[in-house]
Amino acid sequence: MTAVDFSDPATIAFLAAALEAAGVGGIEIDRLGCKLRIVVGRDAPVAVSLVQTMQETSGAVSEKVTAPIMGVFHRHHPAAAAAPSTLPLKVASGEIVGFLHIGPILLPVNATKAGVLTRRLAEDGSVVGYGDPLFEYEPH
Amino acid sequence: MPNGQNNASERERGFDTVLIANRGEIALRILRACKDLGLKTVMVCSQADRQASYGGLADAFLCIGPASAGKSYLNKDAILLAARLTGAGAIHPGYGFLSENAAFSKAVEDVGMVFIGPSAQSIATMGDKIAAKSAMIAAGVPCVPGPDSELPDDRASVEAIASEIGYPVIVKAAGGGGGRGMRVVLDAGALQESVVVTREEARQAFGSPALYMEKFLQHPRHIEIQVLCDVHGNAIWLGHRDCSMQRRHQKVIEEAPAPSIAPEIIGPVAQACVEACRQIGYRGVGTFEFLYEDGGFYFIEMNTRLQVEHPVTEMTSGIDIVQAQIRAAQGIPLAIGQADVVVDGHAFECRINAEDPETFLPSAGTITALTLPSGQGVRVDTHVHAGYTVPPYYDSLIGKLIVHAPTRDEAIVKMQAALSQIEIEGISTNLPLLRALFDDERFATGGTDIHYLETWLKRRSAS
Repeated sequence: MTAVDFSDPATIAFLAAALEAAGVGGIEIDRLGCKLRIVVGRDAPVAVSLVQTMQETSGAVSEKVTAPIMGVFHRHHPAAAAAPSTLPLKVASGEIVGFLHIGPILLPVNATKAGVLTRRLAEDGSVVGYGDPLFEYEPH
Repeated sequence: MPNGQNNASERERGFDTVLIANRGEIALRILRACKDLGLKTVMVCSQADRQASYGGLADAFLCIGPASAGKSYLNKDAILLAARLTGAGAIHPGYGFLSENAAFSKAVEDVGMVFIGPSAQSIATMGDKIAAKSAMIAAGVPCVPGPDSELPDDRASVEAIASEIGYPVIVKAAGGGGGRGMRVVLDAGALQESVVVTREEARQAFGSPALYMEKFLQHPRHIEIQVLCDVHGNAIWLGHRDCSMQRRHQKVIEEAPAPSIAPEIIGPVAQACVEACRQIGYRGVGTFEFLYEDGGFYFIEMNTRLQVEHPVTEMTSGIDIVQAQIRAAQGIPLAIGQADVVVDGHAFECRINAEDPETFLPSAGTITALTLPSGQGVRVDTHVHAGYTVPPYYDSLIGKLIVHAPTRDEAIVKMQAALSQIEIEGISTNLPLLRALFDDERFATGGTDIHYLETWLKRRSAS
């Protein structure tokens, strides 16, 4: 199914006309990323408000890299000598973006898609649960 | 270890952080008890419970796995890992899930943590119905007529045992419970087929084909006795409950004390339960469940955990059973003796389930509005609130409404008033059923048997 672009003026005009024809006073559509509100007055012009509701950086939709299992989160391999890379950081699909320490096991956390890590959401050395967000991430 | 001869490591069991390996109302109940005792808490949850607001009350709240109970609340390794990661010194299993899992109790203690519940050995003994019956007979606890041994394989011996007990008999899986793995046999003609079918069910459901046979009581009540034991050989009983109002072996309403049972009848039975606890070196809280018919008590099983219905005994005894359980797990000797236990007034508990009151199908969804009753002698144990979404993955219990009054009649009136005040919108609940039962004249007189509700429901359907 193709996602409808509610910011498209043609879509808004179509919806407003449909509301007027049906005698409906208004509609509010809350979708991931935006909220569209159309109010159709009897003797007044159609009022439209469109609010972007999602955090966006550089116009891209952000997602989250989450922990696949609980453990102690490390941004870098504990044995790594290299200085920590700073964010934002471009990463390839499958690239290791962090580690989870689970008893004797160090489990890598991989980026599922290529993109840019924009914000770290878990403290280095903190305990994270299954599904906890680790990074904010803009897939390419 | 018998006669309370626990070793030094058993007696010194200090901890300051408790991981609560459960969810819903009981997780919140345990959390409150821990806080009252000045203990830190770690709450674990599944992905489905991640948004549960009660998690925020714990010192740490950790998601341990997906919604499926097998991958979260029943995942021993995940819970142990969560305990290690958060520095918990003890694990409280609540009820259900891993609460009566001997292997889990052992695994917890093997890594140096405290399992807030009995030892693996006690759980295993009481989980095996044949072993439990043997232990009860040894302690003088009255049992249902029938041998305390596994049914033999040969048909002639099985027939001889049934004849000696006298029909009707009931064939049960040794590893069963909760109403599963059992079959009533009315006459000799149905015996062999029932044994074969139940044995296969037991093999598939419980991993063991072992069966046993008992006299089938036709109109019993379900009466239970609450015990509390420390690790120093002290054991007491806190009163008795009547949990006869059941549908498909699931309790719907519980009350304490059980009506119309004279102290001189139940007292010796309760003392035998306490003696049994001493003999098997039981620690913590536990419940002896009995069938009661024509003045006789017949042991069914022992629940080696906190019961859903523990609040009615708390209301009548004035003892916080969860706190007492935790103190016992810490190795603290019981602060009271049997003479200090007083039963005051009468208490009822209604289990509020998210289910259709007619079909009993679970009703998951978001609670859009919630009004709870309050006042003296009214208690609500629940984790839900307006806006809470009942997930479809778990037990449908969303809360317990408990009332306490000087007499049973007054407690009924108080419960009727409380039930009329409670409002839950957005999902279906069994509140209409509970209201109807508290308006039922026969229930009001007390002493209804375990078949009463099923019969009542059939009569309602027919009309």
